[in-house]
This record gives sequence, structure tokens and C-alpha cells, in this order.
Amino acid sequence: MSAITDLTLTGIADAIAGKRISSREATEACLARIGAWQPHLNAFIAIEPETALAGADAADAALASGQNFGPLHGVPLAHKDMFYDAGHISTCGSKIRRDFAPDTTSTALARIKTAGTVRLGTLHMVEFAYGPTGHNAHFGDCHNPWNVAHVPGGSSSGSGAAVAARLTFAALGSDTGGSVRMPAHFCGTTGLKTTVGRVSRAGAMPLSHSLDTIGFLTRTAEDAALLLALTAGADDADPTTLGGPVPDYMAATRGTLAGLTIGIPSAFYVEDIDGETAQALDATIATLTRVGAKVITITLPDQMQLSAASQTLLAVEAAAIHLPWLKDRPDDYSSLVRARLENGLAYSGVTYEQALRWRGPALQAHLAAVAGVDAILAPVCPTPAPTLADTDVGGAPDAEAAIQVITRFTRPVNYLGLPSLVVPTGRTASGLPIGMQFIGRPFAEDVLLRIGADFQRNTDFHLAAPELPA
Amino acid sequence: MTYVPTAEDAAASTRTAGITVPPETAARMARAITPALTTFAPIAQALPFDLEPATFLAVQKPKEAGK
Repeated sequence: MSAITDLTLTGIADAIAGKRISSREATEACLARIGAWQPHLNAFIAIEPETALAGADAADAALASGQNFGPLHGVPLAHKDMFYDAGHISTCGSKIRRDFAPDTTSTALARIKTAGTVRLGTLHMVEFAYGPTGHNAHFGDCHNPWNVAHVPGGSSSGSGAAVAARLTFAALGSDTGGSVRMPAHFCGTTGLKTTVGRVSRAGAMPLSHSLDTIGFLTRTAEDAALLLALTAGADDADPTTLGGPVPDYMAATRGTLAGLTIGIPSAFYVEDIDGETAQALDATIATLTRVGAKVITITLPDQMQLSAASQTLLAVEAAAIHLPWLKDRPDDYSSLVRARLENGLAYSGVTYEQALRWRGPALQAHLAAVAGVDAILAPVCPTPAPTLADTDVGGAPDAEAAIQVITRFTRPVNYLGLPSLVVPTGRTASGLPIGMQFIGRPFAEDVLLRIGADFQRNTDFHLAAPELPA
Repeated sequence: MTYVPTAEDAAASTRTAGITVPPETAARMARAITPALTTFAPIAQALPFDLEPATFLAVQKPKEAGK
């Protein structure tokens, strides 16, 4: 069983298509592993074995009759519980939507389903995707598979934990302030946050219309490339998506680091990081150099100002979206999420508009600063995964400040709408993963995937799997 | 001079959205948003007159799309 679940997304898809492994075998292997791990992780909100096995049998029958549904034929997957799937409950990690069954399917999910996947269930997430740790007062907290006393990161908490523990071969996530990158870093998976406009957000629960992006939690950069290839491109249901041709992301993963220039920020991202994160950064730079990349130091514009503008957009847009429920059902939010939503009501309209207006010049200044590099390398967070206990801030008066510390290295990327790829780059002495993010230019996911894939050909951090707790 | 919201400011702003919060909540809200406001203030006060939000899309897409 473990041999099957150790396969990558591309590996299991190839094995099923080649009839070396059946969809039922793959699905049963995932369900067995979910059964063993779920009591420790709480990574799933819903587990649907009957649906999954029926889907697997249908996929096997189709393949036996010569019908292949697509590149992910018969592959069992689960996704963050905010991607609408018509007729299925999508809780969004909330009490308010505990029984919400949408009548539409998210475009990103629909494109993946069309490729032939089997539905395993739905994955844990922070309430309404508004938090970076994985706490959830309604469905219980999600745990880090490398040490269950620690957070998995959020808000795509179940996606990070389940992919790391080999419960699903990949998972959709979303990233508004770091919600794909944080769990990828804390759980030791690959995580791709896409450019604003690259993947349709139609049918994915909104948190901030300016900042929301779709992303993927996977074992490898190649797996992320496959999911991006399936989902990227224009969508009439999301007018913010970019039209025109989409790069060949799978081909990009066959490129090498040779000839690329990676920028290391001279400040901010290298300040106030813990010792083991600093060591992992140094080791990553050494690997990049060894395999042929040129690494140079760059000076970026003030990242704290970007972060402040990002926080303003997120707070106000989230408050506006949630205002009807804040009025009518305030007690149905957890104390932390309600407090954060309320904060957004206190900003002035003028400040919000100023934060929107600055976005263009801020991106222009950023692009000028990175003109000489193909990507930036930076930590995702100043530390590895903290404990659930240390980050259980609830509705405490200084909860917002505590959250801002965790997400300080991720928020600027959201304000600028940039893509970012997280890859595992090391481990602490206690065994917790450490990931680094490669930040690219708008719509240059292909460059990031090229970097990530070659980095993973030259390292083995992404191959490590956590052991089932005793 | 940088604007620092008071609890009264936060309570008033919240009331305009149709929600009334107790004083301690208003104080917490003001405290929570002050760092972002003070950090962003120098930028906000220096934005050019002829600048509209869609500039972001113009910067993001024409030069980079399809790379």
C-alpha cells in the first residue's frame, strides 16, 4: 500500500494509464492511509469512501473498454473544502456554511475533474481561509504530520498535511496572504501560488477579490506543473483571468538551473530569521550555485509598506464580503475570525482606495528592482512550524499582531500579485521541514517550475515522508 | 502627521456599516489596524494625482504575459 501512496501525482497517473496499478488499488491505498492518519491529523473534513471507490471502479471499467478520461484518469484526490463541487457540501471550514451545497463547480476543480480524477472527500481549512496556522474552532485543529503538536500552516491546512502524509497525491489550495506557501513550508511539500489572473477563481470561496489566488500543494514541482497546465488560462466565469496562450509548464520542468540568475534580498527576508532557517537558506544558495545558477544580492523596495497595503486590502475586502453574516450571525464565527473581520470595518474608504491605487506603481518598482534576476529566493516564514499551543491566539487583544509575524514574508507577494513556488529545502534538528520560496515575475510560473524541478533533481528533501505517530 | 485611529473612530466607522461594537472591541480594532496605517501613511500621502487602480493590470500584463 505504501508503495502506491509514495508515488507522485504524475507517477500514479502514469501507472494507472499504463494499467500497472488500478484506480481501485490507488483509491484503497489512499483510504487505508487516511484511516490510519486522520485521527492524528484531522486533515479531512469529509471522507467519502463509497463515492471514491465507485468512482475508481468506473475509471477502471472505462480504461478496460479503451476510454481514458484525461491526464489524471482514475487518480484519487481531495481538495481544500472551499472549491465548490455542485451538489456536494463545501463548508469553507465554517459553521455558517456547514450545510452549504453549491449548485456550481469551481472552474479550477472542474478542469481537474475533467482530467479524470476520483473524489476522496474534502480537506480541512481555516474558517473562511482567514488564518495562517490551521486552527479551527468548528472542525477541530489540523495537525502537522511531522510533529502533531505543531501547526500544519494555513489556511490550506488539510492540503498541506494530507499531501505531506501521502493521503492524497496532490491538493488544490488558495493563497491570499500565504495560505498555500505556509502549509507547504511547515509540512514539507511543494506549493505553487499562481499569479493573479493565471487560474480562474470562479467557484472558489472568495476572501479578498484583489489578492485571492489559486494554488497547488504537491510532492514535486513537476506535479504542480501538471495541475497548472490543466487549470491555467482564460475563463468567462472569471473576467480577471488572462487570455492568450498558456506556457508549456511540463516542458519547463525539463529545463535546468544553468544560466538562471537568482536574487537574494539584502534585507527584510534575511532579517530576524531563526538559526536553522538561516542555515537552510545558506544551503539552498550553495545548491543553486553548485548546479549552475548565478546567485546575486538584490535590493528590494520597502516590503513592510507592501505588507501594510496588502493587509489593508485583505481586511477591508474580507469585511465587505462577510458584512451580512457579521450583522446577522456574528456568534457563528470563531472569536479569532470574527475579530479579524471586524478589524476590516475600521479602515476608511480613502485608505482602501489608496492601497488599491498604489498597486501599479509598487509592482513597477518591484519589477525594476528584479530586472537582473529570473527569480528571488526567500524564506517563507522566519521560523519552522510553531506549536498549536503557542499560536492559539483566539480572540486575544494582540492576535492580529501575532498573525502578522507569521505571515510577514508572504504578504508582499500577494499585494504584488506575483507567483511563488515553495520547495522543501531542509529539516530542523527536531525533524520539522523548512521550505523556501522562489518568487517570480507576473505569469512566469514556467520559470519557477523550471527552478523547482531542477532543484528537486539535485536534492531529496521532497522525497521524505513523515512516520505515523505511535 | 500620521493618522492614528482611536477607539471612537473605529466604533464610528463600524456603525456606518450597521454594526455596533462595545468599547473594548473598538479599542482592539483601532490597535489592530494602526501598524498598517502608520506604515502605509507615507505612501498614501504621496500618491500622484493621476493614478488609478487599473494601473496594476497595465503593469502586470502587457510586458509579462505569455513569457
